[in-house]
Amino acid sequence: MDARGWSRCCSHSRMNVSGQPGVELSEVDGLKRVMCVEDDADIRLVLEFSLARLGGYEVCVCASGLEALERAPAFAPELVLLDVMMPGMTGPQTLERLRELPVMQGVPVVFLTAKAMQRDMEDILQHGATGVIVKPFDPVTLPKDILVYWEHGRGR
Amino acid sequence: MPPPGHALSGETPLRVLVADDIAASREEIGVLVRQFGHSVLLATGGRDALDVAAREEPDVVLLDLLMPDLDGFEVARELRRRVTDRWLPVVVTSSLQGDEHFIEALSCGADDCLARPVTPALLEAKLRHYQRVLGLQSRAAALAQRQQAIIDHIGDAIVTVDAAGRITEFNRAAAALFNAGPDDALTGALLVERLGIDPRRLPETTEAVVRDGAGNELTMTVSAATWQLNRQPYTTLALHDLTQERQLQRMKDEFLGAVSHELRTPLTSIRGAVGLLDSGVVGALPAAAKELVEVAGRNSERLSRLIDDVLDITKLEAGVTLHLQTAQLADLVAEAVAAIDGYAKGAGVRVEVSSLAAGEVQVDIDRFLQIMANLLSNAVKHSSSGQVVTISSRGSPEGWMVAVSDQGPGIDPRFRSRLFEKFAQADSSDRRALGGTGLGLYISRALVERMGGRILVESEPGKGSTFTVLLPARGPRAQWLLCVARDRQRLDQLGMAGAPRPGRDGDRPAGRRGPGGAARPGAGDRCRSAGPGPGRRVLPRAPVHRPYRGARG
Repeated sequence: MDARGWSRCCSHSRMNVSGQPGVELSEVDGLKRVMCVEDDADIRLVLEFSLARLGGYEVCVCASGLEALERAPAFAPELVLLDVMMPGMTGPQTLERLRELPVMQGVPVVFLTAKAMQRDMEDILQHGATGVIVKPFDPVTLPKDILVYWEHGRGR
Repeated sequence: MPPPGHALSGETPLRVLVADDIAASREEIGVLVRQFGHSVLLATGGRDALDVAAREEPDVVLLDLLMPDLDGFEVARELRRRVTDRWLPVVVTSSLQGDEHFIEALSCGADDCLARPVTPALLEAKLRHYQRVLGLQSRAAALAQRQQAIIDHIGDAIVTVDAAGRITEFNRAAAALFNAGPDDALTGALLVERLGIDPRRLPETTEAVVRDGAGNELTMTVSAATWQLNRQPYTTLALHDLTQERQLQRMKDEFLGAVSHELRTPLTSIRGAVGLLDSGVVGALPAAAKELVEVAGRNSERLSRLIDDVLDITKLEAGVTLHLQTAQLADLVAEAVAAIDGYAKGAGVRVEVSSLAAGEVQVDIDRFLQIMANLLSNAVKHSSSGQVVTISSRGSPEGWMVAVSDQGPGIDPRFRSRLFEKFAQADSSDRRALGGTGLGLYISRALVERMGGRILVESEPGKGSTFTVLLPARGPRAQWLLCVARDRQRLDQLGMAGAPRPGRDGDRPAGRRGPGGAARPGAGDRCRSAGPGPGRRVLPRAPVHRPYRGARG
């Protein structure tokens, strides 16, 4: 998948990062394309501001698991943030389908969840996620925080 | 409550049937019986004796052996045949010489004999003897009846089986479980065929899937007690259905999960939007606007902590399951200190570790760290910039001690009694200033108690406070002492080298900085965020990231 592919499908998500107080690009260190799957429109907006505008990543924001499956091949994400509780296809179900895509092999997937029950966490992680980010997350540190998962889960 | 059958033991008068065809001797014995405090029923012959006995149900029968219509032998035999639901003592009387007729009477079913003429003292003694035996007997019968009533009204099924696993007894709940029809012969049936469980293969208490008479599979707790009767072993099983409890628990969990999700989702947007505004990513804010955005950010953080705490309390009060693990105490303390480090530095407070005892403890690690985070963050929160919080630990034969001390202002004595209550804070302005939820110490105490321990607190305004926690150490039998001390005196008393630090009441820190710079765990936290959250687990290959809970309690 060439770079033009993802920029075409996600161009609306790219924001100008110049002059913004964000993460230093040296820290980003290679991670460029982040896909977010979240059914809540307001949270999608927060994610987009945080990761694209503040963090300077190329961001592809999807409102459902289905949309993520459609767009992942063209976007070729290097990291996916995936909401757990979504109507229709849940996060774990989406992950299962995403993993079938050649472009998703070895790509770390981090769940976003508002549920903090221990059993929930364990259940979630059974599904082969690299980690979990608990809502409410901090949009200011999120661009840096996801690097931990990217480094941790890369290539596994 | 008096024991059942009490009224029948001891002094309850007997109703004595006196059967004799000769009026004079009938009267003579009747007078004596009345003299001894009992009541008398008279029968004029053998047939009359049977009629009166059937009608009046006497306690004892005094029977003349020689009666024209039906002699005493026949009456004794007939009474024995007719009265089967209780013991009716029959005493035969006769003036005949020799023992043969008495032996004959006893073989006919009489219980005792008395020679005529009757010796009054002997008659009195015999009646007293029957009075006592009958009293004991009815007491035993009442006890058995009471026990049967209890067993029958217990909701749990109770079944007794013999050594071969055949049913010998069962209560109503068990009959319902067997789904037995009125003609269904349960006694003697094999339990394994009825419920699918073999009592001989069960441990004392276990959870088992039981197949009831209707074919449903039920998860039940099965408790087995083995006992002996006439050297034959029997096993009594109590079966408690867990299906409904499980279902309620599941519904409760689902509800809590939904509440958690529904509250946190909008909060995520609010918190995120405010945080981004404050960060300046959409442009610098005027000073007044920034101030307002900070208010919103601070309070959305506080709301987030309140949601966490309230959900935590709901779980605790419903009975949380602890995951006990063996860990090095020193590692746990180090982790607790590492977790609080960022917050302490932000407040200009130094956290020191002194006299750290080596040794293993068995605790729920996440919950332990949650307790430590609560107590440590309280200590930091109530310290001024430049002050020091000290943590130390010590082992003893009974367990372990950990002490945290600070140099804060101490706890107002008037507040001490409410310190561990929900939403207890010294004053509301304090709460606003420090951003706590008022639930931290309540949760800490609940957790400590859940682990079989307790928290104590000592404090002197202006000098410091001491929190002492007693917890089970290695396994449930041993105990260990966790002490969060806030003043040197207390540390000295405890024989611990520790720096002096006064203290204050309790809650955890306001989340570090404003919305724009909320605390996040350092890299070292990524595999286990040290700040305890309700669901924090050690997941080395799957990090859980909680930026807002990272270093708080």
